[in-house]
Amino acid sequence: MHTFAYARPATVAEALAILAEHGPDARVLAGGTDLVIRLRDGSLRPRVVVDIKRIAELGPGIRVADGRLVIAATTVMAEIAADERVRRDFTALAEAAAVVGSVQIRNRATLAGNVCNASPAADTAPSLLVYGAEVVAAGPAGVRRFPVDDLFVRSGVTTLAPAELVTAIELPIPAGRLGAAHARRTRRRGHDLASVTLAVAVDAAGVTRLAYGSVGPRPVLVVDESGVLADAAAPDAATAPAFERLFAAASPSPRSMRAGPEYRLAMLRVLGGRALRTAIARLAGE
Amino acid sequence: MSPAIPIALTVNGRSRTLDVAPHHTLLEVLRDDLALTGTKECCLVGECGACTVRLDGRIVDSCLVLAVEADGGEVTTIEGLAPEGGLTRLQGAFLDKGAVQCGFCIPGQVMAADDLLRRSPHPTVAEVEEGMAGNLCRCGCYAQITEAILAAAEEGGR
Amino acid sequence: MTGARVGASPRRVGGAERVTGGQRYVADIHIPGELHVKLVTLPVARARIGAIDTSAAERVPGVRLIVTAADLPQPVPRFGPQFEDRPVLAVGETKYHGEPVAAVAADTRDAAEEAAGLVRVEHEELPAVFTLAAALDPAAPLVQDPALRPGDPLAGTNVLRVHRVGWGDVDAAAADLVVERRYAFPIVTHFAIEPHACLAAPDGDGIAVWSTIQHPNWLQRILAKLLGLPLAKVRVHAPDPGGGFGGKQHAKYEPLVALMALRADRPVRLVLTLEETFQAVRRAAAEVTVRTGLRADGTLAFQDVAADYLIGAYADIADRVVGKGSYVGAGPYRMPAARIVARSVLSHTVPSTAFRGFGNPQVNWAVESNLDEAALALGIDRLEIRLRNLARKGEAFIPWDTPADGDWAEATRRAADRIGWGTPAAPGRGRGIAVGIKSGPTTGLSYSTVRLLADGSVIVFAGTSDMGQGARTVFAQVAGDELGAPLDAVTVVMGDTAVVPYDQQTSASRSTVLMGNSVLAACREVQAKVRAMAARVHGVDEAAITVEHGVVRLPGRELPIRDVVAAGLGRLGGEVVGNGEMRKDADPGHPLQGAPAFFEFNCTAIEAAVDEETGDVTIVRHVTVSDVGKAINPLQVRMQDEGAAIQGLGHTLMEHYIYDLRGRVRNLGAIDYRIPTSMDLPLELHSEAVENADGPGPYGSKGMSEGALLCVAPAVAAAVRDACGAVIRDLPLSPERVWRALRERDAARAGREDAR
Repeated sequence: MHTFAYARPATVAEALAILAEHGPDARVLAGGTDLVIRLRDGSLRPRVVVDIKRIAELGPGIRVADGRLVIAATTVMAEIAADERVRRDFTALAEAAAVVGSVQIRNRATLAGNVCNASPAADTAPSLLVYGAEVVAAGPAGVRRFPVDDLFVRSGVTTLAPAELVTAIELPIPAGRLGAAHARRTRRRGHDLASVTLAVAVDAAGVTRLAYGSVGPRPVLVVDESGVLADAAAPDAATAPAFERLFAAASPSPRSMRAGPEYRLAMLRVLGGRALRTAIARLAGE
Repeated sequence: MSPAIPIALTVNGRSRTLDVAPHHTLLEVLRDDLALTGTKECCLVGECGACTVRLDGRIVDSCLVLAVEADGGEVTTIEGLAPEGGLTRLQGAFLDKGAVQCGFCIPGQVMAADDLLRRSPHPTVAEVEEGMAGNLCRCGCYAQITEAILAAAEEGGR
Repeated sequence: MTGARVGASPRRVGGAERVTGGQRYVADIHIPGELHVKLVTLPVARARIGAIDTSAAERVPGVRLIVTAADLPQPVPRFGPQFEDRPVLAVGETKYHGEPVAAVAADTRDAAEEAAGLVRVEHEELPAVFTLAAALDPAAPLVQDPALRPGDPLAGTNVLRVHRVGWGDVDAAAADLVVERRYAFPIVTHFAIEPHACLAAPDGDGIAVWSTIQHPNWLQRILAKLLGLPLAKVRVHAPDPGGGFGGKQHAKYEPLVALMALRADRPVRLVLTLEETFQAVRRAAAEVTVRTGLRADGTLAFQDVAADYLIGAYADIADRVVGKGSYVGAGPYRMPAARIVARSVLSHTVPSTAFRGFGNPQVNWAVESNLDEAALALGIDRLEIRLRNLARKGEAFIPWDTPADGDWAEATRRAADRIGWGTPAAPGRGRGIAVGIKSGPTTGLSYSTVRLLADGSVIVFAGTSDMGQGARTVFAQVAGDELGAPLDAVTVVMGDTAVVPYDQQTSASRSTVLMGNSVLAACREVQAKVRAMAARVHGVDEAAITVEHGVVRLPGRELPIRDVVAAGLGRLGGEVVGNGEMRKDADPGHPLQGAPAFFEFNCTAIEAAVDEETGDVTIVRHVTVSDVGKAINPLQVRMQDEGAAIQGLGHTLMEHYIYDLRGRVRNLGAIDYRIPTSMDLPLELHSEAVENADGPGPYGSKGMSEGALLCVAPAVAAAVRDACGAVIRDLPLSPERVWRALRERDAARAGREDAR
């Protein structure tokens, strides 16, 4: 591994100052489960690594504030997967967090890190999209809050400015009941990078929100407000076109080692259908 | 070369202070600086679990943790699990159930199994298989490892 | 007659060290003053090597030595177990992605890595071949310099050798049905959790080497020749490897590291990364065409097998793998006529080497799958067709060779019973069954020494490598049993050529049989000496004394062996030493240069469920039955058998190298090369051993560590086909492949309906 300087700011302000000073030569270190791999393989060669885990303002922790679930930036997957509120109100996120890597990985990997890496295959991204999660980012100009959907550009690239730091991920607590589920496809049953990862949420008003990843340069959110998809009793002839429309934005890469485009597109539909059925059943309290 | 950084940590109950290069992982420092070679190096990408140690109450792949991140922390390695010269119940069960072939993955397996039983004293087979999936065994002792964990749980825990 | 220790399953010898982290593997050993080596490689497969500029690398603080081919003895020494074709560093051109062109030794790993990255190598990428089709094209660039094979008519091609074996007249054999299909087996790798490592240090007027090697004596021979040193001046330490599976049999970078140590006059160490290990060892891919002829009643008429193995850029032991692996390609069957033609095809890829199963899994995948195809065509039950044709014990199934040496039908019936063959499977599930054999060692030489000490404890010296198979425990059980020592009073010393007598190698599941017999012979010599001692001490005729399991029987009384020894040795103490030798000489007239000492027979039966929407295969039940002769340690037998089964599931369901168009492995390392985890096991895995004490090893044992890998792929594929009709002849059976096969099935069904 090439060498770099290590900074351990105690406050967000300090962290921002370091990021501002070094610009793209600085990388934020949260869990390190992606960063350290890339430091070793040389695909990232920062001059300074900024460890945010000792910043008290950044948690770790999950709390409720102003009708939102606030997940601090250094909160790890294991905590999220085990959190009672997440499991109850954000089932698909709990399910996604529970399949990110192994126990060892989930004890280090953070939700904020998973989001900031902007991997198209990030397992938590679809669930964050369907729950309408927001990113809270601190920067030189202050704090801004914006939908996770506005963060992703393509693999490894986000709309964050180099001097911005994600301080939390916030999820609005749903006003009414939601049925939701996460589903993924991997090459083996043991932990693996997803060749398709998706989440579905259905609400009592019949709105279906589906998001999927690993089938294009960035995760995609699609919303169906027709009510037809959420209706388990709707005839196939009605649901089929609506269902098909959900996947129009999928464009899997033919270069992937994990699965071919044709298979990914087919699995998107299989898993989408299964997750939708699970979500509907959960909404019905089954 | 960035200057070495002084860190202080507790390893297997013993306070250690040392200077580490910022880019050295906890795995490298344990093996090379502290001569705790029971923690093994294999994939270096957090996939195989051979380097599993306990850091501040949670198991981690020490190949993905920079040593400086462990500053102030408490680390337990395989060498610190059992009293000198003895075996934990779990370690004994690994031997009795035939969970050890070449042994190279075993320190990591034992650390992960120990953690599993701390979190879940009476796990189901499915919980064991999921909980141990971050530790590869190419000799293929998975069934025996599961048996060993269940046996240790049955007999009173780790 | 065996004593209490043989047939029992005591805790593994060396087990406590392994569960506490105390076991010292090569990478755990440090020598004061050691330098760290990093290899310099190119980002291409085949390339002409131009100027190498090391100036920037030399300026890195701590760098002590940089070697390129030009710095080595000229011509650059070449080595290899079968052909001396592999240069210590690439000469003139690299022949595969990952082949080192230079190496850096520095005070720290960091400095070595940094400097290796600064070595500038001018290079020009050259046309290369990465597949069988490309390598066999008459216009293909040659992988090997024809000058390395003077007088060989094949030297102008990429075919290293053609192995032909056969009997009867395949072309004239009468058959009611002939089934011909082609099957493919991918490149897979060993993925031992311990990456390969090597240390070397000048040692007086010789050299000491520590290596993860399986064959320390073979390495000693190669290094002695290469360095021009007497064998006695090359000391190879071989600590128990952390998994070998064949990948650690033969020298790879040891010659380089040894030369660097001598040149630097310092100890040097090289510990490969997992990625580098992927570029050092792998199994040969193969494409196998099988033509099977049968009578209408299912009786086999002939087997016609053409197997092309994609070996790498250097031969390593790959050609032996091809020859020996294909040799039993007609299967364990009564076969009137057979023709087996196997070719070792060189390519610009990682040199392939031995890997558990040694060339058999590739052919068995094809031959057993083809037999299923025939059974389906004839409407004969797939178990029945096997039972009908399996060679009976004592039957010469290869006309000139070792006859069938086990009750193979018994093993097959037991596997069938355990899977519930003949009872209906649940909807969506199917069953498959396959059998296979692998030839045991064809030559061997294992010496051992057993020392019975004055207090009755025992030291066994045996040059086997215990890489997980449990050889230490087995030898301790044998010696403990024969000499009446409890296991905690038996020490087994291995892995040091300066201390332990010669052993040819640890491979082909040989050690229980060959070294086991050697240890047994050494114990018998100790017993004979004890008998003489007892006769002398007690004034009894030697012929009236027996020594068995540590008990000395004199007329009218019994004494513990330690009492006899203590009395016999007297005040000065001492010990009773026995030497063992187990020799299996080569037979130049035999196609394999020797008849197999035994066959490993296995039957695997699988019940699988297929998710037709995703192509996901669930192994519901996996039954493996191996004929082991006698289980000296039943638990270890089960561990070996299940371990082989799980490795087989790896290449069956998920493992394969993915090459890019320029011959670079895209999935180097653990992220995108998937092996089974604890979550990928069969829902139920059941291993059984047939024990008829009919093997050539101690107490009737046979070798048994590879059999359970031979049949996994054909049995799983058969179960998948039985479950859903998906036909796959290309491993692995990834969900995507199964899904595609299901689409093809649907298309074929639709086609048939259209045709009606």
